[in-house]
Amino acid sequence: MKRLISFALAILAVCALLVLGSSQLRAANGVKADHKLTLYNWGDYIDPALLKKFQKETGYQVQIETFDSNEAMFTKIKQGGTNYDLAVPSDYMIQKMRRAHLLKPIDHKRLQGLQQLNPRFLNQSFDRGNHYSLPYFWGTLGIVYNDQMIASQAIQHWQDLWSPKLRNQLMLVDSARDIMGMALITQGKSVNTTNQADLEQAKKKLQRLMPNVKAIVADEIKMYMAQNEAAAAVTWSGEAAEMMANNKHLHYVVPSEGSNLWFDNFVIPKTAKHYQAIYAFLNFMLKPENAAQNAAYVGYATPNQGAQHLLPASISNDHQFYPNDKVLARLQVYADLGQKMIGVYNDKFLEFKMYPR
Amino acid sequence: MKMHGWHWRHLYLIFVFALLYAPIFYLLFYSFNQGTTMTHFIGFSWRHYAELFADTRMIQIVLDTLLIALLASLLATIIGTLGALVIYQVKRIWLKNSLLSLNNILMVSPDVIIGASFLIFFTFFGFKLGFNSVLLSHIAFSIPIVVLMILPRLNEMRQSLVDAAMDLGATNWQVLSRVVFPFISPGILAGYFMAFTYSLDDFAVTFFVTGNGFETLSVEIYARARQGISLEVNALSTLMFLFALILIAGYYLLTRYTTTKRRQRRYQLEAKIKP
Repeated sequence: MKRLISFALAILAVCALLVLGSSQLRAANGVKADHKLTLYNWGDYIDPALLKKFQKETGYQVQIETFDSNEAMFTKIKQGGTNYDLAVPSDYMIQKMRRAHLLKPIDHKRLQGLQQLNPRFLNQSFDRGNHYSLPYFWGTLGIVYNDQMIASQAIQHWQDLWSPKLRNQLMLVDSARDIMGMALITQGKSVNTTNQADLEQAKKKLQRLMPNVKAIVADEIKMYMAQNEAAAAVTWSGEAAEMMANNKHLHYVVPSEGSNLWFDNFVIPKTAKHYQAIYAFLNFMLKPENAAQNAAYVGYATPNQGAQHLLPASISNDHQFYPNDKVLARLQVYADLGQKMIGVYNDKFLEFKMYPR
Repeated sequence: MKMHGWHWRHLYLIFVFALLYAPIFYLLFYSFNQGTTMTHFIGFSWRHYAELFADTRMIQIVLDTLLIALLASLLATIIGTLGALVIYQVKRIWLKNSLLSLNNILMVSPDVIIGASFLIFFTFFGFKLGFNSVLLSHIAFSIPIVVLMILPRLNEMRQSLVDAAMDLGATNWQVLSRVVFPFISPGILAGYFMAFTYSLDDFAVTFFVTGNGFETLSVEIYARARQGISLEVNALSTLMFLFALILIAGYYLLTRYTTTKRRQRRYQLEAKIKP
């Protein structure tokens, strides 16, 4: 009995030490009770140096929590019990959150520097007038190819992926909307179609692609492409940028016939509490020098015109990541099609994945 | 023939252990990599350890995780011990069996379901997610394990021990503290360590009930892994592996110490009785 009690006391003593250490670290990180802002963001999606700078300028401490899918974020915010001040969902999810009444409107009068944002990326179908969201980063879906394995002129369009030359040489990102969307574009259809016949046609078209498909994977594409495992891959621009940093033979192309244009936008969820800090942060991130620094760190394309001018010309003139206006005009944004239609897309994609080679 | 069998048996054992430990050692090995991927070993360096110790957020999360594990398993052990005593002294068989089944259901039900139900429970009552919600849920899912570790020990105990103590005029409290607790203390310790490991490596339940800036190690590593695992995580895994090794060694020494001490005491008693 005595031994058990002394054992328990020893554990409590260790616990006390841990509390002390943890609170010391928290104090060193400078978290004060009410002078803070909770940002709910994708992992590694903001330059940590900017957060320090923001704290120095305004005194607000930014706490970051991360999510790994739009759906996980949606559930956590909908369920309540959290107090996220800002979140960064993608386009279709903004529409879904708005329908679920999870968003607070953004007061444009309290924003400074709104004119910095390129009008091309405002007023999108998922949030007309940007009453609920401000663009943070944008990007495209495209083809990454290895110039040692395939000539660049042989792979400029989606249709080129069906070439017999690419047999067992193609990797696809495991995402129903993106891959189905790609097939729809080759057939001149909208990526938001709800026409069953179009979707069936798209699935049939994808099944003819199967002999070329080496793998349908997620984040692993980055590693495989960097290690010359496949000649080409269908993936997102930000992922492509990371691959290209690791292998100089890789190039990214956005097919000129059209592709997906996606956004990650700032929104204020209904759980927000620290409005002063929220607007201070939005204004801070609208400043061209800060947006440019962030874009250089993250590697995605910034919607901030001023920032784009500040970026080195090698980045901002790179048509792989900042496509020209003609291509931009052909890009399509995903709309929230509702749960039932998403189910149809997923089913068709699954049928494609199960199709024998 | 006998030698032959001995040989093969050991080969099989080595094979099984190699299979179990190879992934861990693969991970440990690359924590010393100078490069940043787990595919090419460039050269030896401590840089990922330096990164780890400079990352105060990570260190803080490690401390919080240990705190949760130590505290939750301590409280779960106290509650679980009392629960085991209650189940032990229930005389009606059907009641005892249904209590045990209720306990076992919690053991076998999937973590995801437990986690989701905790999330709904906490948010329904407007409980703020954070340290407290994680602590409470960890205590809750550790209790059944503690009960299961202690009950066999109690069943091993002979009723005559308690009766003898009562005959000699011991009060209820004295019976509990001088007879029952010393007898079941190996079970209590085992229960504590089991609860500790369950709490330390739990992901599914914790994933649901974290929030408001509080995270545990498993959740944080999962969030970071989306970007491709940084070797900082390998460095941390190496340290955690060493920590676990020390813990196991400590537990082994502790139990050996108590059993030899008990044996010594029995010899002394027998020596006193014999002449």
